[in-house]
Amino acid sequence: MVKLSSLLTSLVLTVMIALVAAHAGQKPGPGNEDHDPQIGQFFQVPYRLTDTNHFLVRVRINGKGPFNFLVDSGAPALYVATETAAKAGLKPVKGEFWTVIDRLDLEGGARLPGIKARVEDPFQLVGMNALGLPGASIDGILGFTILARFRLEIDPTRDSMIWTRLNHAPPDPPVPRHGARDGDRPPPELQVMNALGPLAKGLAFLMGKQPEEECYPRGFLGLEWAETRDALSGQSTVRISRVVEGSPAAKANIQAGDRLIRARGQSVTSLKAARAALSAIQAGNPVELTLERGNEKDKVRELTVTITAGEGL
Amino acid sequence: MGKRDTWRIVLVFGLALLLTSAALLGVCLGLARAGFRPQAPAKTSTPAKTTVKAVVPFSMLPSNHMLVQATINGKGPYRLIFDLGAPITLLSNQVSEASGVVKADAPRSFLFSMRGEAEVAKLQVGDLTTTKLPVIVLDHPALKILGEALGRPVDGIIGFTFFARYRTTIDYQANQMTFEPIDFPIRDLLRELPGRLAGPKTIRRRVLAPRGFWGLRLARWSAGNINSAGVPIVAVLPGSPAALAGLQPGDVLTTLNNRWTTSVADVYAAVADVQPGRDVSVVILRDGKEQTLMVRPADGI
Repeated sequence: MVKLSSLLTSLVLTVMIALVAAHAGQKPGPGNEDHDPQIGQFFQVPYRLTDTNHFLVRVRINGKGPFNFLVDSGAPALYVATETAAKAGLKPVKGEFWTVIDRLDLEGGARLPGIKARVEDPFQLVGMNALGLPGASIDGILGFTILARFRLEIDPTRDSMIWTRLNHAPPDPPVPRHGARDGDRPPPELQVMNALGPLAKGLAFLMGKQPEEECYPRGFLGLEWAETRDALSGQSTVRISRVVEGSPAAKANIQAGDRLIRARGQSVTSLKAARAALSAIQAGNPVELTLERGNEKDKVRELTVTITAGEGL
Repeated sequence: MGKRDTWRIVLVFGLALLLTSAALLGVCLGLARAGFRPQAPAKTSTPAKTTVKAVVPFSMLPSNHMLVQATINGKGPYRLIFDLGAPITLLSNQVSEASGVVKADAPRSFLFSMRGEAEVAKLQVGDLTTTKLPVIVLDHPALKILGEALGRPVDGIIGFTFFARYRTTIDYQANQMTFEPIDFPIRDLLRELPGRLAGPKTIRRRVLAPRGFWGLRLARWSAGNINSAGVPIVAVLPGSPAALAGLQPGDVLTTLNNRWTTSVADVYAAVADVQPGRDVSVVILRDGKEQTLMVRPADGI
């Protein structure tokens, strides 16, 4: 009996393999881009790791966007989905295999002029997007002809990759000798697979699409704080250092010098704890804070206030 | 096996095929069955030393794939494709058997002789040795076609489950990768995704929390605006870090800490990573002109 789990194993395996017409010996070499001022520069490229463990970075095509592109050393070139191309105003010329992008910007500052792209809908993207598997729409693929222009440093524990621009222009993959028009039939495996994009759309109709994650901005109180440590007891306290005029905190009569003891029912003895207790408040939420006011000479008072969180950061 | 189970397996297998099959994307660029040059012989790797940064040479296949030579459980070398777009690591049946990853008599499924999950005790590439690597044993149709076109088999794919163990650098000019171990928890997709697919379509919610205090109010919340230049600042609180930096209401935030801010969600995602007390660059449009200001957010909320 076939175990379901064993079938599922490859569910998320997306591998892009290209069989490029043989231009054997055509080695990538230094490009004629010595004048490009970005050569030698490094860029911090923010990325998002999808639910399917794919790296997505954002690009702008001729200034339009941003769009989510997959970083994929297994793809031979730059692929732009047809819908993305339409949004970016790219018009593939009939009969031309490549569409030239005048300017491709990568988030983080890298810029590539005059890049050849293939406008196409790889069925992998169609299928994954139809089912909502990655948790974000994927608008295209950054393959070898883009990636090879950089030295890539990828560390999943950091929020950005580091891409250093090389003086290196990889050759474009050659245009197929047998265009799709010639009716040169691909291998049977490929024909089967080509049917899968529409199949996934059908499945999505039956099963529903995985919704994208919804994000909300954290609410705003309008106070600055600092952690102070008592030299004798070693006890640390969160002290309000400033209350912004007209802010929700000011309206609740919080004052600079107050000490934050409890936030939303959680005891606060450090900034870390304070942040954690308030990490998920949203605008409009009532937020209960317990404060201590006054120093030892005076009578120390404890007061509890409820602030309505506002918008801002 | 119940009818319902069978149906599910067929569904799931359709998905599996869909996602794996993307491997064949590049076939549209034309199949060449001749003219490939044989690969240069692999550099013989010296025995693994306990260096911090391991160096792994690779060669480029004519299909623009990175090929590494790997020893699996002391057997090989085998030819594996290093693929940043592959979420998991995959080995062919033949190599898995020859290297003892699976036993020859392990049961196969009727689909691509899939044997499911297995573990490689020891995998060596270049200077690097890794152990207990989870792999999928499967004869991938795309690898078969690629191997046929190249005239030499391709034995598998190294994917995310491998390289997420390291800080990886890839230098296409030097044809060399380096790997430094990191501690990163690798999500088990295979347990997570099927459940989500089959389960209710619950929307996950996440609150984006700024790390520091800026003293800004932005235009209305939006998750994503295509082709928007940036996010207008509606209010700057007097005396706040934003005010001290010179930000003004009406300024349009376009980039914050090298991140594009085309939506309010982008701004919040960017400020979530900005530590208080450190200067960070902010690019704004003011009267249609681009300006860069430095802001030092305070600690607060």
